[in-house]
Amino acid sequence: MAGKTRAGRKLKMTRKAKRTREAVGGGRAFWIATNKQKTIQERVSALAHVPMAVGEGDNNLQAVLGVLRDVKEPIEVRLAALQSLQAASFSVVAFESSSGDYRATLRNIAQDENPELRERALSVLAQQKDGFAQKKLLEGLQNPQKALVPPQKALQLLSYDVHADAYKAARAIVNSPPNPVAKSEALRLLSADATAAPMFEKILLDKSESRENRQLSASALHALDPEKMQTLARDIVLDASDYDDIKATSLTALTQFGDNAAFARDQTLRKSVDLMKTRGSDELQLSASQFLSKLEA
Amino acid sequence: MPDLAAAEQSETQFAELVDAVAADPVRQEQLAELLREDHPFYSQRGGAAIVRMRGWVLLALARTGVSDRELPFVLEEFDTGTDAYLVAAAARALRSYARPSAAFAPFVMRALNNIRDEPLSFEGYGEYPTSSTDTTPVRELLAVLAWLGPHARSKLPELASLRAQPGRFCKKLIAELDRTVAAICGNRQPEADQTDDCCTTPAHLGQEWWPFHERKGTETVDSIVFEDHDGTPIRFGEFFKGRPSIVVFFYSRCDNPWKCSLTVAKLARVQQLFKERGIYGQVQTAAITYDPVFDLPKRMREYGRERGLQFNAQHRALRATEGFDALRSHFCLGVNFIESLVNRHRVELYVLDGAGRVAASFERIHWDESQVVDRACEVLRQDAAPPVAARPSFGGQGQVTGTVLGTLASLAWAFFPKCPMCWAAYLSIFGIAGFQQIPYPSKTHPALLAVMLINIVSVWFRARATQRIGGFCFVCAGIVATILGKMVMNWDNLAAGGIALTFAGSLWGAVNIRQLQFYLRRIGCNFG
Repeated sequence: MAGKTRAGRKLKMTRKAKRTREAVGGGRAFWIATNKQKTIQERVSALAHVPMAVGEGDNNLQAVLGVLRDVKEPIEVRLAALQSLQAASFSVVAFESSSGDYRATLRNIAQDENPELRERALSVLAQQKDGFAQKKLLEGLQNPQKALVPPQKALQLLSYDVHADAYKAARAIVNSPPNPVAKSEALRLLSADATAAPMFEKILLDKSESRENRQLSASALHALDPEKMQTLARDIVLDASDYDDIKATSLTALTQFGDNAAFARDQTLRKSVDLMKTRGSDELQLSASQFLSKLEA
Repeated sequence: MPDLAAAEQSETQFAELVDAVAADPVRQEQLAELLREDHPFYSQRGGAAIVRMRGWVLLALARTGVSDRELPFVLEEFDTGTDAYLVAAAARALRSYARPSAAFAPFVMRALNNIRDEPLSFEGYGEYPTSSTDTTPVRELLAVLAWLGPHARSKLPELASLRAQPGRFCKKLIAELDRTVAAICGNRQPEADQTDDCCTTPAHLGQEWWPFHERKGTETVDSIVFEDHDGTPIRFGEFFKGRPSIVVFFYSRCDNPWKCSLTVAKLARVQQLFKERGIYGQVQTAAITYDPVFDLPKRMREYGRERGLQFNAQHRALRATEGFDALRSHFCLGVNFIESLVNRHRVELYVLDGAGRVAASFERIHWDESQVVDRACEVLRQDAAPPVAARPSFGGQGQVTGTVLGTLASLAWAFFPKCPMCWAAYLSIFGIAGFQQIPYPSKTHPALLAVMLINIVSVWFRARATQRIGGFCFVCAGIVATILGKMVMNWDNLAAGGIALTFAGSLWGAVNIRQLQFYLRRIGCNFG
């Protein structure tokens, strides 16, 4: 009994010592991080260690939010503060009470002069489906002079919320893309638009279209109209002039979701895939092997 | 049809309209209309725009005062809302209601537990604060609890538990929470007419019941074609007629866990209660998607199964492959769209009677599963014996004749061969039966066999669609017996039995038995 009590007391003391060490460590890092006399390097390094300290009290959090908001602070320090706060928002329970202030600060810095800070703030807000961020991103797509981030980034961020009213803007970008990456992002966003299946079918069959966009179209079409994709995938696999990576994607679609019984009767398809097992790119050979082994299983 | 003039107006124009309506005492009733999800103003708007617009209407209500008409819209935000702006605006609106009630306290606590705090601005339309403000959803909800005062006493332990959670509230909010608790614990006692328990006021909030003879007919939706979770096509008239049904609406892309996901999970619970009360086979359930283009059979099946829904011929997930607009207008669905995607919807459940007519509805506020099952039992009892008031007086001969003629017409329609397949069925029966009378039977054998084959194929397709294979089995047995009797054993009695079996099986497959039972019950009722 006495031994048990001694052990309990020892464990309690060890825990207390650990807590004290952590508090002092966090406190010191916090002091360096918010001290303007310290070098940028020191402050950035200290900010990496403050997430736990941030949640220890409202004052700590407000001080780091102040660093993030302060346009006179070096951008490296502000970016590190943002990273630190974001880590704290995930890991510290106590952060919840200040999440509102954090969101307001993010909206503030989303319009900052520094493009990287803007982009990162908008990323965090867009993941939370924030109405302010969505409004700003859509405004930027409609009027490039007001854009806070490049169109491809805006589309990527808007795609976090299927209800964000971004389809119209995405369709405009597909029709008249400012750059190829923006077009790909627009297609990625439209892959959730149930009415976009005919557009994806057209792009998938268009050999002059980039292979990335055709692959995107294949996976979008598979989600929106699987039966149509099955038919097109078979045609693509049998088309000797098409690219290996597109064929591989089509074969994967057939392997994963196709009607095995129908394929077993389809000798033309089977012969073609047999040939692909030994010819073509590694990716195609692998897809062909998977297709045939599923057929034989 | 969406009102294009409304749909094309800008958000600013909408906000001006709301302000004008709120300022005009004669038009203030229109604010409730502006909160209806199916209002043309909400057509083709994004989710965030709808939040701004509805929030502005709720804030207008806070100025004009919430009446019983608007109360469900306000409590709905506490019950199923996930947006901080709408919850805060609803909290402000509720405080303009004439009398505080203990029934509101559970709604407020639910919102307090679900919502994440954030700074808001109610100063101008569509404003988003970029620094801390004093307006937050938690503050607005605490203000409601303080307004409820002694009516919220039952929630004191929950508030104490919230206060004890580390990091749940910042220091400022804890101080506000303490002031709220003080307001609740104050000396004030509920007034005599306000001593309600937590279930009195909104027990029937959002619920409606239509008497037997006031229910809307289904003529506009009978031909709507659905595809179920297995890809089987079925019409509204085929599925919903013959037995009472519970219908809920959902869509798999709904990102509000308190709406579609919970609705489907609760429907699974209703199925369970049907089993416990022994009416599982007597009442059907259907989960119909708002998003028929995206919610393909596989998606519906997985979505339902993940939430415990059981599927079979009487319990299905459905998507309208044709006629969704007619369905939307028949049920007056509380939903709107941006392109093909839902942008806002309410929680809604309907109890249909055996004729597919809406008998009861549960809207906006989450329904209690037992209440829904009680309603279904009530409808089941009414279908078995419709209300006495429903019986036509025997003095009115024309009325009786009309009912009999209508019923006979229904039976005639059921038995009349309506398609080439049905004709084939009848021809196969009468053709085989007439073997003896045909001068050169051997030459007609191949034709009659072909007709029999067509019949068996048509019965099979029908059996697959309705998931009732009894008729198909009868037809198979009948055809085998007829062929054996006529061609192999030369035993006429066996052939006659086969013909009878084929006839019975074909009818079984062609006629909706439940519908027939329903009509027969109607005859019984009309005659006494």
